[in-house]
Amino acid sequence: MTVLALVERGPEGPDELSLQALAFARSLAPGEPLHALAPVRGGEGTELAATLGEHGVSTVHLAEHEAFAAHAPVALARAVVELVERLAPAAVVAAGSERGNEVLAHVGALLDLPLATNCLEAALGEPMRLTRLRWGGSLLEEASLHGSPKLLTVAPHAVPAEAAPAAGPAVERFTPSLTDADLVVRVVERVQAAAGGISLADAKVVVSAGRGAGSAEGFAVIEELAALLGGAVGCSRAVTMAGWRPHTDQVGQTGTKIAPDVYIACGISGATQHLAGCKGAKTLLAINTDPDAPILASADYAVIGDLHEVVPAISAEIRKARGR
Amino acid sequence: MLVRLVRLGAPLARRDDLPKRLRNEAVVVLGQRKLLQRLVPGLMHAAIFWGFLVLFPTILLALVHAADREPGLPDGSVLGWLDRQGWFAFLVDLFACLVLAGVATAFAIRKVQRPRRFEGSHLREADLILALIAGIVTTLLAWHASQIALGLNAWPAAWSPVSDALSGVFGDGTATEALERALVWAHVLIILSFLVYLPYSKHLHIVTAAVNVFFGRTRARGRLEPLRFDLPEEELRFGAGTAAELTWKEILDTLSCTECGRCQDVCPAYATGKELSPKLLIMGLRDHVRAEGPKLLADPAAATAPLVPGAVSDEVVWDCVTCGACVHECPVSIEHVDHIVDLRRHLVMVESRFPVEADPMLRDVERAGNPWGKPQAERAAWAEGLGLRVLEPGDPAPEVLYWVGCAGSFDERARVSARATARLLLAAGLEVAILGPRESCTGDPARRMGNEYVFQSLAERNVATLDAAGATKIVTSCPHCFNTLANEYPDFGGRYEVVHHTELLAELVREGRLRPRPGAQAITYHDSCYLARHNDVLAAPRELVGAVGRPLEMARSGRRTFCCGAGGAHMWLEERGSAINEERVREAAATGAETLAVACPFCTMMLDDGVKQSGRELRVADVSTLLAEALERP
Repeated sequence: MTVLALVERGPEGPDELSLQALAFARSLAPGEPLHALAPVRGGEGTELAATLGEHGVSTVHLAEHEAFAAHAPVALARAVVELVERLAPAAVVAAGSERGNEVLAHVGALLDLPLATNCLEAALGEPMRLTRLRWGGSLLEEASLHGSPKLLTVAPHAVPAEAAPAAGPAVERFTPSLTDADLVVRVVERVQAAAGGISLADAKVVVSAGRGAGSAEGFAVIEELAALLGGAVGCSRAVTMAGWRPHTDQVGQTGTKIAPDVYIACGISGATQHLAGCKGAKTLLAINTDPDAPILASADYAVIGDLHEVVPAISAEIRKARGR
Repeated sequence: MLVRLVRLGAPLARRDDLPKRLRNEAVVVLGQRKLLQRLVPGLMHAAIFWGFLVLFPTILLALVHAADREPGLPDGSVLGWLDRQGWFAFLVDLFACLVLAGVATAFAIRKVQRPRRFEGSHLREADLILALIAGIVTTLLAWHASQIALGLNAWPAAWSPVSDALSGVFGDGTATEALERALVWAHVLIILSFLVYLPYSKHLHIVTAAVNVFFGRTRARGRLEPLRFDLPEEELRFGAGTAAELTWKEILDTLSCTECGRCQDVCPAYATGKELSPKLLIMGLRDHVRAEGPKLLADPAAATAPLVPGAVSDEVVWDCVTCGACVHECPVSIEHVDHIVDLRRHLVMVESRFPVEADPMLRDVERAGNPWGKPQAERAAWAEGLGLRVLEPGDPAPEVLYWVGCAGSFDERARVSARATARLLLAAGLEVAILGPRESCTGDPARRMGNEYVFQSLAERNVATLDAAGATKIVTSCPHCFNTLANEYPDFGGRYEVVHHTELLAELVREGRLRPRPGAQAITYHDSCYLARHNDVLAAPRELVGAVGRPLEMARSGRRTFCCGAGGAHMWLEERGSAINEERVREAAATGAETLAVACPFCTMMLDDGVKQSGRELRVADVSTLLAEALERP
């Protein structure tokens, strides 16, 4: 009863989630030979194979192709299918990462088999009984999986990656036969998210404005203050609705939930849906013209005034204090 | 074939309450009440419909006469007797002309007025059907005229003035004799080809509509049919993912649609440029059922394409605010909201596929007991200093239990109205109490999002809490809580007398226990969908508005109100396209009112936001707030 695991590569060696998937795969059939498939460019992968051996893999299959220099989901699925036909494993396991789910979904389509994603536990059998993580972790689903081989991905961090040395894994290299159609989906360009900025969800300081900013241009003072504080710019739903800022900047229950050390909310009345998104802030400073604005009830500090006067004044003070 | 298609559907109990069903049949079908909500198109349709009811015996007579010019129907037969009656001949003439007038009006509406409600309908099909109707009636009149010319008429000719006048065109020679044969055959052939065309056309409604109205819901329009999770696995149903999972009523709905577009015309999503049109939703499902249904009839286990995105797109499913304007408007009792919710149930519970921004709400409702993830311990914080009793377990039951709702408990704008309501009830001397931290979300937003699991677990928990507290009479200031408590909790064993705060306050004013001082401010009242349309609470809030100010009505009011944009869990969804709340605020401002009165915390938030977004000078306030102010006025 063989189990085949799909391994993705991280910047250095196998990806952490893939090692977790290996541990999961071992637990499916303890004592049985464990095969692993890793995509590499021609000639590469010797070190990788050795690392996999330390995680209990008995045979490492290196699928060689130039396309595997980057993520190539359909091509990789073809390689998996080729190996499945050769090895006839009882199960194919991959990490429940974006990529692992994507590749096994293609495998499922090619073999006309069902796929169970985000598994926490599984027991081989007909059908396979498994527990899946649903609903972003709020629901556990008991499911049964039919077909052969069983296709499943492992919920991230469901099991720890554990070393389990095997006696010097066998390494087999093969070149999957691919057509041009298999290479249609490929990485064309990599763009770093939030280039030059700080992501809203992780920022230690967030400066937000609401309808009180008055216009898209009104955010200039907000951006200035955020830059001085090394923070990110946020906004309220009203701003997104008006089209002044993109939805990715929206703080709130239906936008990004934030938990910065300091949250400066300017010209934001404090609708419940907004407050639900920033309740994790350690310190909340509100700037508002309306002394009855609901946000003042949640604020640690408040300035009653127009943000277009108050915010530039704060920026000026910061500059002065820094001696510029 | 059509009956078998409908029988494919999942079970649904719609055979109870026979007297109400017969009444609906009389009022909605025979009386054309829903059609007559729009005067001209309504009269147009009624003329054609009533016309054909009267003309029906003439179809049978024509069939007999087609075979034999002078069939000599026996005296005892009803047809023969009817054929000789002057009054019947008069009615036939009259209604034939009315049908022609109806067809002319229909063409005028379609070709000259061209209302937007027909966007997306099969216009040529409608033209063909109208032409066939005109053909049937014209050949009938001409045939009768030729009969009179030949002296073949069994009825006194003077009773049918139109046919009689037309008979002058004909001679009494052999040409007319041949013409008489040709006309009766033309008449019969048009009718037969109409009948052949019917099952494949949208005009099928002349068969299905009366049946669909009969099986329409008879009470509690705001109630959703609960899913049963206690059934054996084969019978479990998690909403509708494929045609086979639609209920039989939903399939019958799709076969009843005649593409009139009244639903589209009143839909707030369609009006603000969203992808959803309730008409296109039903048409999409119909086409899907027609395409996939035969496969299922051949093999009940056949795999069929998914409804989403096969029949309708994901956007369409999530655009709906469940306001029910379409259902209220539909002349053939199609229940669009049920379709939407069944599609959502499948997407949410089986596929976990729904707008990502709703995830925190669903999780917070389930875990925190309120949709904003606020600490339940702070639930009674709004009532501090009011002297309102918070019920502890084991306390004696109060006369009236005030169910505040999550908005009134946590949202600053909604708290204003909750405080006003509590002060008023106490001032009137009512013995009233709240559940405080033991109250939780009723589950309405989760249910309208399609998460029936979470709704049912909250429903069971809340019913247990309410029963343990000995609640008998409940007042609530949230129409969504009101609808759930009054219409949906009985399905889970919770039976209480539930009133909306406007009903109770109006009663207290009527009894003289609250004495507001009349004011001069111009107030326009916005009906909440879940209060007015789903639950018929119209008069009480208007009584209160009348008692405190000068009422002004918006064009869309009462049961035909226009949603604020928050229903169907849209309070927690991002809106695409132009904003529903701003559209409503424009309408409210157009009345010239200074105050926009509401009776729902979500309407309060949405419309207040709409006012701010549009930069207008309009105060949005709950009726209870206005009443409290009127009591304190010098």
